[in-house]
Amino acid sequence: MNDSKNIRIALTKGRLEKDTAALFEKAGYNVEMLRNKGRRLIIEIPETGIEVVLAKAADVITYVEHGVCDMGVVGKDTIDEHQGSFFEVCDLGFGKCKFALAGRKGENFYEGFGVKTIATKYPNVTRRFFEAKGMDVDIVKIEGSVELAPLLGLSHGIVDIVETGTTLKENGLEVYEDVSPISARVIVNPVSMKLKKAAIEKIVAQMEQHRGE
Amino acid sequence: MKSYDLITPEGTRDLLYGECAARRGAEETLRGIFLSHGYSEVITPALEFYDVFNNKTRNIRQESMYKLTDEKGRLMALRPDSTLPIARIMATRLRGCTLPLKLFYSQNIYRANPKMSGRDDEITQSGIEIIGGEKKRSDLEALSLAAQALDLFGSKEVRLELGDNGFYKFLIRELGIEDDESVRVLIKNKNTPELERLLEAYFGTDKEKAAKMLLGLPKLFGAGEVFEKADALLDYPELKARLAELKQTYDALCELERGDRITVDLGLVNKADYYTGIIFRGYIEEYGQAVISGGRYDTLIGSFGIEEVAAVGFAANINAIAAAVHKNVKLKAPDVLVYARDGCLTDGIRHCRSLAQSGLIAEYYDGEDEQAAREYAKSRGITRIDVIGAEQSGAKAK
Repeated sequence: MNDSKNIRIALTKGRLEKDTAALFEKAGYNVEMLRNKGRRLIIEIPETGIEVVLAKAADVITYVEHGVCDMGVVGKDTIDEHQGSFFEVCDLGFGKCKFALAGRKGENFYEGFGVKTIATKYPNVTRRFFEAKGMDVDIVKIEGSVELAPLLGLSHGIVDIVETGTTLKENGLEVYEDVSPISARVIVNPVSMKLKKAAIEKIVAQMEQHRGE
Repeated sequence: MKSYDLITPEGTRDLLYGECAARRGAEETLRGIFLSHGYSEVITPALEFYDVFNNKTRNIRQESMYKLTDEKGRLMALRPDSTLPIARIMATRLRGCTLPLKLFYSQNIYRANPKMSGRDDEITQSGIEIIGGEKKRSDLEALSLAAQALDLFGSKEVRLELGDNGFYKFLIRELGIEDDESVRVLIKNKNTPELERLLEAYFGTDKEKAAKMLLGLPKLFGAGEVFEKADALLDYPELKARLAELKQTYDALCELERGDRITVDLGLVNKADYYTGIIFRGYIEEYGQAVISGGRYDTLIGSFGIEEVAAVGFAANINAIAAAVHKNVKLKAPDVLVYARDGCLTDGIRHCRSLAQSGLIAEYYDGEDEQAAREYAKSRGITRIDVIGAEQSGAKAK
């Protein structure tokens, strides 16, 4: 576990990292080093005792779960797919989108008695969604553009992240049903939360205070 | 066919030398504490019928159990927990025995964790159960023993944390929400955003008060000041009474232990839910999960078909404790290496025995060559070598 007195925060590389840096800046942190990080993966935020680690989304969860990072910023999509035991303390409100069930435009997904095939990058989210409906489906894991699967006739539908819906529209697909909302979340290792309570609560409070601005 | 004869299954490991000594050392120390307080040890089978662990009131997730079948096709499980088998014993062999009864165990449990999670599937747990004792007294004793177990890490930062899932249980009953794992996980993970989404429906109704309290519950953790905050938030006489009781236990514990090591978390709930009152956890720095976990379970033993018997207990994760102290364990080299020359093998054994009886660690060298024995001693860090028997002139000439 990260036993230094510093607080180590894992950020999901890419957009969430930029949004979080902007949030830190509003909270009055000096984020220059975070912005001009070059290829470094561990970056200190001066005079705050905060160390930022940049990682892929699923790894943020792994590092926090094992306690080598005290807290992390990660999308709800990754949390829903990977799950794990950590505290999920705050919704940052950015990175907003949703999981949705989609398919060819104009078709009735629930029609007929055959078992449906779903293509997705998120098999666990998909399984839970249909389990809650008491519906048996075949799930096919796809790594790239899931939209292809129903177009090529591999699946009846897809479960994927939908932001604006433009990709779906351009490919003749439409959302049948929303699965769950997604946004960036702050997660905290349970033991860190107990042993470094004051420091972590301060950071979370600052993030909460500035998230809406 | 691919053979897996060179690896151990994921989540298990071979323990060698220092790691092994650290594991045994942690186990022995805890056994010592339990024995010196009058607890009796029990050993239960590693293999049990599945039903012991899975029915309506004792729902250990079936995904987390290793299962197999016996020759009649009955479902069995590698025990995922030691408290349930002990409750089974209470309902059978120890039925009607004199109470209170204090038992302890030190044995492995098995959990099927998600793969690649880096967690142990085989965990050595040492723990106690105080069965049929008066609530206030036995809660305090269990907590004091847990604190003693945490004291084993004298130099590290440790916390013993108290909670009571009665607050949670009362509030969801008040709200008419079913007590299922999905809600417990939201509270347990302090997932305020999702909890708020779930409870929004109650805002503006007559249940708003209870919903607001449930929403505030995960935030009620920290040192003694939590009790004031909780008293302001929890506006039911039942909850205030529960809070006062918990405060009493907390104060008593603070009197016994260093107060800065004791904390409170009213949002503490367990996923596997047989606890009915106080629950507690022990944490140490450098380990990302709780190393001690316990609580009161007043209805569990009754669920095995006998009259209800109140009980409280905890288990300490020996794997974690050993990993945390492992750096400090140095294996002691033997004091003497005994080498017996040809013709003196029995004298060598005899000499070795008498050294061992005198309290030294005496290792008998199993090789033939004297020079090799000296090199072996050097590599093992043994400074004294006893050579038994006269030098044989013939051997030397060769």
